[in-house]
Amino acid sequence: MKIKKILILEDEEIILDLLSKKLAEQGYEVKTARNGKEGMFMMEKEIPDLVLTDVVMPEKNGFDVISEMKQNELLKNVPIIIISNSGQPVEIDKAKELGVSDWVIKTEFDPQEIIQKVNKVLTRAIHPPEAD
Amino acid sequence: MQEKEELQAKITELDRTIKMLVRRDFELSGIKEKREVELKELDHIAKLLIRRDLELTQTREKRENEFQKLEERTKELEESKEALLNILEDVEEEKKRTEDEKNKTEAIIKNFADGLLLLEEEKITIFNPKAEEIFGLKEEEVKEKIIWALEGNEKIAPLVALFKAEKSRLFRKELSLREDLIVEVSTTAVLREGEELGNIVIFHDITREKFVERMKTEFVAIAAHQLRTPLSAVKWILRMFLDGDMGQISETQSQFLQKTYESNERMINLVNDLLNVARIEEGRFLQKMQECDMADILLETVGTFKEEAEKKGLSFSCVLPSKKLPKVSVDKEKIIMAIQNIIENAIFYTKSGGISLSVDYLPQKNEFMVKVQDTGIGIPENQKVRIFSRFFRGGTALKTETEGSGLGLFIAKNIVEAHGGKIWFDSQEGKGTTFYFTLPANGIASKNLK
Repeated sequence: MKIKKILILEDEEIILDLLSKKLAEQGYEVKTARNGKEGMFMMEKEIPDLVLTDVVMPEKNGFDVISEMKQNELLKNVPIIIISNSGQPVEIDKAKELGVSDWVIKTEFDPQEIIQKVNKVLTRAIHPPEAD
Repeated sequence: MQEKEELQAKITELDRTIKMLVRRDFELSGIKEKREVELKELDHIAKLLIRRDLELTQTREKRENEFQKLEERTKELEESKEALLNILEDVEEEKKRTEDEKNKTEAIIKNFADGLLLLEEEKITIFNPKAEEIFGLKEEEVKEKIIWALEGNEKIAPLVALFKAEKSRLFRKELSLREDLIVEVSTTAVLREGEELGNIVIFHDITREKFVERMKTEFVAIAAHQLRTPLSAVKWILRMFLDGDMGQISETQSQFLQKTYESNERMINLVNDLLNVARIEEGRFLQKMQECDMADILLETVGTFKEEAEKKGLSFSCVLPSKKLPKVSVDKEKIIMAIQNIIENAIFYTKSGGISLSVDYLPQKNEFMVKVQDTGIGIPENQKVRIFSRFFRGGTALKTETEGSGLGLFIAKNIVEAHGGKIWFDSQEGKGTTFYFTLPANGIASKNLK
């Protein structure tokens, strides 16, 4: 089976490192970007299987990245999980309306939880859900 | 013969003389009679004259009397006139005073720091200069006009819309007129002897206040948000160490890291509480309303608390009604947060005994009542009034513990009240405390939804 590529957009170095480590352990190929602009550039070069993105970032924020991805034919179907400091129910609803698969609140982080969420999204992406 | 003739002549002459004498006598008596008549007349006249004179005297006396009376009357009149003039003067003074009063009132209205509009039978009758400035309209443009007729005037249309939206004529609302102008509109009824004459509408410029308030709230929100970034980084690292992802660690190391992790968690909770307070102050606290079953909410809340209470040697029970409860539309996460905050306190302040949680539906009031009862230390009398205040922490808590932000009950109260409910408690020192809150079953005050 082809190795899944995950792109993480996050300006907080520690979180970026930890996430990369955790996901690499799960057998994923992990690429990282420190801001939205860099992230978009990398996505255009190589389409990832999943994007994990922060919301508040320099250069280009997470929501801008998402709307650019949705307008790009090649990127609009790439699943997205948001990792954010915030996480108000309305924010999460709004993100889901934009087609975001899931939302992780950093302060509520649990390593098992994030791995489960990533696995779930990527499994679903392999076998597109008929009724979900 | 001659003699005879002479005699005869003499006799004749005598006779003639006699006759003449008789006649004269007769004449004389006639004259006398006439004179008498005349005398009588004279007497009569004299009498008349005398009487007239008497009458005249009387008349004069009378006249004099009357004259005197007249004089008296004139004097009286003069006095009356003077009195009247005095009254007139008083009236004049009163009028002047009224005028002064009116001028004063007008001056006050004119120079009033807030915009002021008087509405009489839906008609605008006063529109002071500050109101002119706020709306960018001249008094002449709106005066004597029915307020609804101004709907098409874009300068004042937001106010007309506000009046239309408000059922009551008495309200206090914020009104955004321009990007850089927010006013608070408050109305009062003008009453005279119980009769409503109209409404005074006051426009108070709160642009600056709103700006400062927003800055403060934004500051708290940003600060809290910024704090969350390093706190979550610390949490992630500690979690990974504790999970053994960073290599093997000793038992002692693990214990210390666990303590650090818990401290960090408390810090995160505090920051979250601060963010919630900032949201309460922004008035955008309730966000996601959904149809819920209160029993489910309680069961979901209880979760970890049972274990936590038992760890402290306390009993923990959750009593649900046997009948199915009607659904209620609430912000589920916030209601859970409110109950959690109350239970956290109950566990914290209870050393022995236990905590009991229950929910009831009161059909006669169409509301739910949630009850959290503990057998804890109770709330001292002198602290009862401050229980729901921001940053308030029980005296004993301050002495013995470092945990807790003092925001829990403040947040709980705001959540309950935003749903249109009430929160209160009964407490006896040494015996325990029971917190109650109600939630109306049919909808909430929508004003709290933004």
